[in-house]
Amino acid sequence: MKTVSSLLDKHWHDRYRRISSLNIRSSIYDVTNRCNLRCKGCFFFSSGEHHVQEEMDLRKWEAFIDKEKERGVNLAILIGGEPTLCMDRLDAFYKRIPTYCATNGLIKVPREKFPDMMVGISLWGGGEDEKILRGKDTFAISSKNYEGDPFTYYLYTITPKQVGRIGPVIRRINDIGLKVHLQLLSNDEGVNGFFWRPEELRDLRFEMDEMLDQYPQVVISCKYYHEIITTGEMMGRRFGWKECPSVTESMDNRKPPVRSLIHFYRWAADLETVHRCCTSATRDCSTCKDGAAHMSWVMVNKRDHMKSTKDLQNWIEVYEMFAKLYRFIPW
Amino acid sequence: MPQSKDFKGMIQHVAEIIIDELKLEDVTPDTFDPDLDLVDELGIDSMDLATIALVLQDEYKIVIDEDDYPKLKTLRLICEYIEEKQATKH
Repeated sequence: MKTVSSLLDKHWHDRYRRISSLNIRSSIYDVTNRCNLRCKGCFFFSSGEHHVQEEMDLRKWEAFIDKEKERGVNLAILIGGEPTLCMDRLDAFYKRIPTYCATNGLIKVPREKFPDMMVGISLWGGGEDEKILRGKDTFAISSKNYEGDPFTYYLYTITPKQVGRIGPVIRRINDIGLKVHLQLLSNDEGVNGFFWRPEELRDLRFEMDEMLDQYPQVVISCKYYHEIITTGEMMGRRFGWKECPSVTESMDNRKPPVRSLIHFYRWAADLETVHRCCTSATRDCSTCKDGAAHMSWVMVNKRDHMKSTKDLQNWIEVYEMFAKLYRFIPW
Repeated sequence: MPQSKDFKGMIQHVAEIIIDELKLEDVTPDTFDPDLDLVDELGIDSMDLATIALVLQDEYKIVIDEDDYPKLKTLRLICEYIEEKQATKH
């Protein structure tokens, strides 16, 4: 029988044990329906997920978060809208549950109030792509706000137009002392020229690998993740509705049951509505490029990765990457 | 219905359930080490445990609380847990 210790040497087994006890229970919260940007391709607005009555009473948020903690959530992922428009709600989460804030970086999270809250700044390419898709070059502002911050990284959403040109973006991030995680645009609003072609995905995979080799201290990633996210395949299976692990538990009626994140929910800002999954319900799951969903896909399928030493090492690297991004283990 | 007093028999039966549910290869109920760490060595996660727990609940007419999953680290500990649950039921 294949066991972990029969597949791994001591170094890898130690790494495995460090993560196997983490038991991460995440859920996602739309902190607000408002945003200070309107990006083309933002699933939140394109899918109409903002059409709920936002809860404005802070005490209701606090009571809600307490219940979430009781439910076993140990990682609150705050999205929106733009979460930093509601610092009091951020504070309510931060005081109760380990919290990650996904922001566009235009407003600085005050570190005197949130000293070690993980912050992920969205970035959609170099300056030109950012102007086309987001109306402005946000890096110019976010880089000033967060330069050298040890609890912040860029979540770089690579677009098809960026293939062959991601190096300069990584260098800019390196120059301001931050780290970066790579994911791919899903193009929810069908912006012309931003659909993926197979040859672009193939080229990008190798470019991502190259960046990781060149900037191992800056790029928080691993090559197996690059393979999965660009091919949409894992262990001979294709990503899609029948495989996705990031579906809200109460809305998951798939038969047979799919290996999923335990007790995962994505809550709307009215604190009552739940969304189908970690992105939008209008997205075509077969072309979804969501990075966290693909990482989780690997993570919940551990035993399938016990076929060989290399497979299990790949699984460990993806899990470690996720744990680093949400600060369960150091960089 | 398994004999709850027959601990050895219970170990064999629970081993069979784990092997079936997880589709384990190269192991039989006879060769399954009852002290093998299911998480650290077999790579079982919470979802696997939930799957196994559902079958055990039906088989042994007990309720397995999700908070107890961390206790169920080996085949032997699972069987001891079942015995304890059955004893408190009567």
